[in-house]
Amino acid sequence: MTEAAVYPETVLAVTLGLLFALGTFLVLRRDVVRIVWGVAILSQAANVYLVTMGRIQGGVPILAHGSGGHGPTTDPLVQALVLTAIVIGFGTTAFALVLTYRVYEEHGTIDSFELGRSS
Amino acid sequence: MVATQIAIAPMVIALVTAILTLLTRRWTRVQQATSLLGVGAYAVAVAVMIATIYPDTILTYQLGTWPAPFGITIVADALSAFMLGLTAVLAVPSLVFSVRYIDEFGQRVSYHALFHFMLVGVTGSFLTGDIFNLFVWFEVMLMASYVLVVFYSGPDQTRAALQYVVLNLVGSAVMLLAIGGIYATVGTLNMADVARRLSDPAAYGFDPAPVLGLSALLFAVFALKAGLVPFQFWVPAAYQAAPAPVTAMLAGAVKKVGVYAIVRLYFEIFSAATLPVSLPAIGGESFLAFYGPVLFLLATASIVFGGTGAIARNDIEGLLAYSSIGQVGFIVLPLAIAASIPDLQALAIAAALVYALNHALAKGLLFLVAGAVRSGTGSTDLHDLSGLAGSAPLVSAAFFIGGLALVGIPPLSGFFAKLLVFQTALGGVNLVPLGVALLGAILTIAYVSRAWNRGFWGEQSEIASVFEPDRVQIAVLLALTLAIVLVGVGFDPILDLARAASDSALSREAYIEAVDLHTIEAASGGGGH
Repeated sequence: MTEAAVYPETVLAVTLGLLFALGTFLVLRRDVVRIVWGVAILSQAANVYLVTMGRIQGGVPILAHGSGGHGPTTDPLVQALVLTAIVIGFGTTAFALVLTYRVYEEHGTIDSFELGRSS
Repeated sequence: MVATQIAIAPMVIALVTAILTLLTRRWTRVQQATSLLGVGAYAVAVAVMIATIYPDTILTYQLGTWPAPFGITIVADALSAFMLGLTAVLAVPSLVFSVRYIDEFGQRVSYHALFHFMLVGVTGSFLTGDIFNLFVWFEVMLMASYVLVVFYSGPDQTRAALQYVVLNLVGSAVMLLAIGGIYATVGTLNMADVARRLSDPAAYGFDPAPVLGLSALLFAVFALKAGLVPFQFWVPAAYQAAPAPVTAMLAGAVKKVGVYAIVRLYFEIFSAATLPVSLPAIGGESFLAFYGPVLFLLATASIVFGGTGAIARNDIEGLLAYSSIGQVGFIVLPLAIAASIPDLQALAIAAALVYALNHALAKGLLFLVAGAVRSGTGSTDLHDLSGLAGSAPLVSAAFFIGGLALVGIPPLSGFFAKLLVFQTALGGVNLVPLGVALLGAILTIAYVSRAWNRGFWGEQSEIASVFEPDRVQIAVLLALTLAIVLVGVGFDPILDLARAASDSALSREAYIEAVDLHTIEAASGGGGH
């Protein structure tokens, strides 16, 4: 692999590490809103990971009918997968946020520690 | 030509019903009729599918007529059909029960649509032949179940749902990671193609070793869905929060999706790879050699934790929720033994499937009994309830039969399920699995008899004496009770179905052949520009 090809994948690998660290940190917080943010970041990190798995080598996007002759292409399948995953993630995050609001209405708190104690 | 459409019929019926129940919201009766007709049609479609498939046909449906592995393939084999049969047998009584159990406003707003969407997700998970598509069906199923868990949206429900949602969202992210990794390593998402490539990695130019780690990551997600220890902590809260008929479905059918995924992916697909495993005390040539001890530990921990937890609970729903953790352990135990001893695989998978069917029927019935008791008395706490057998003999009889089926008394369905599990355990390398199964059986007897003695026998308590169960609810309970007895008495056909399913799960070559994989050259040649 040439140096130019290694570069974007290294950057993405570091970004992924940071995203997962941040997501995990937020999921372990007491505040429910932060937990939901953490989960959202984790699922977005998974999406970035999926795109990275398409082997970004500085290739061109796939062209009409795969006629070839344009050098290496980036795998389009993972991008289709990520689109699906983003839509699902959008729906679930919205639901989790609404649920958080309902939890606040029912319990008057969004501190997960106090939520656990009130049982 | 007609035959291939049967593969997607149940999924389409459930989806159409879900949409129709949304459209008929203004007319309560029409909506209920649509919903009930829909679930009936679903059961008929599943029955037709089982009749078409049995014993060893594999139906495939290429969505959008894209040839595999480029499109998504729907594969219906005997294993899928068995799981769908289990779902249908539980979905019909649960929905009939719901019509008399859920308040009218709840039914009108969302209940029927959610129930059918959950059914769509479960059905899709059982039928898909594509790993990423499995993720999508999981999400469909989960999204509906999130809302059903928070359905009453009181303090307990919101708290339980929050826990359930966050855990499953993390699970989904992990699942996506594992699937992405598998795709990057193997180069395909089609299950049959994954199996083909894993069986000869050199020809496709990849190293199969990373797939073991990635499949372990994926395994954690399936264990979370199945509620195996140490991924069980969402189970009691969520099962207590959801309406009783939903809990019956969650424990009976939705949980089994995790078990199904373990059987399908690990015993049929991933086991195609030969990889020398040499950890201490573990040796073998396939991935399964690694999963044997893992499955065994999870199964043992589930049986012990679920059983002891159930004994300690004072409300019927909590007791049943812990019991389902233990019972899933019983389903996984034969799989654990078979993972280490390949000769036992056919028997073990059949044992797991029969146990899954027994658990779906018995636990579904018991949760519905808990629902009937709650709607009639307002409580399921064993301190408040006593002497229910006097005021509601039929409901109590249903609980008694369901409890005996869990324990495994002949001639009920549970007897043969336990028998097959013990038979598999006897074939193990040592007698430890047998000991675990015996301990689990004793724990089951303890918590079932405790619930019976406290809640149903004895002097009638005040709220138990005014208990007048709904007639339709009683009819549903009796129908399920009858099903348990019939499965036990006429066990031979069920065993044949389970054996066909287990054979199908182990005939990887037939599966790959049925999916009809194309290669790039053939596809581009046939496509034309």
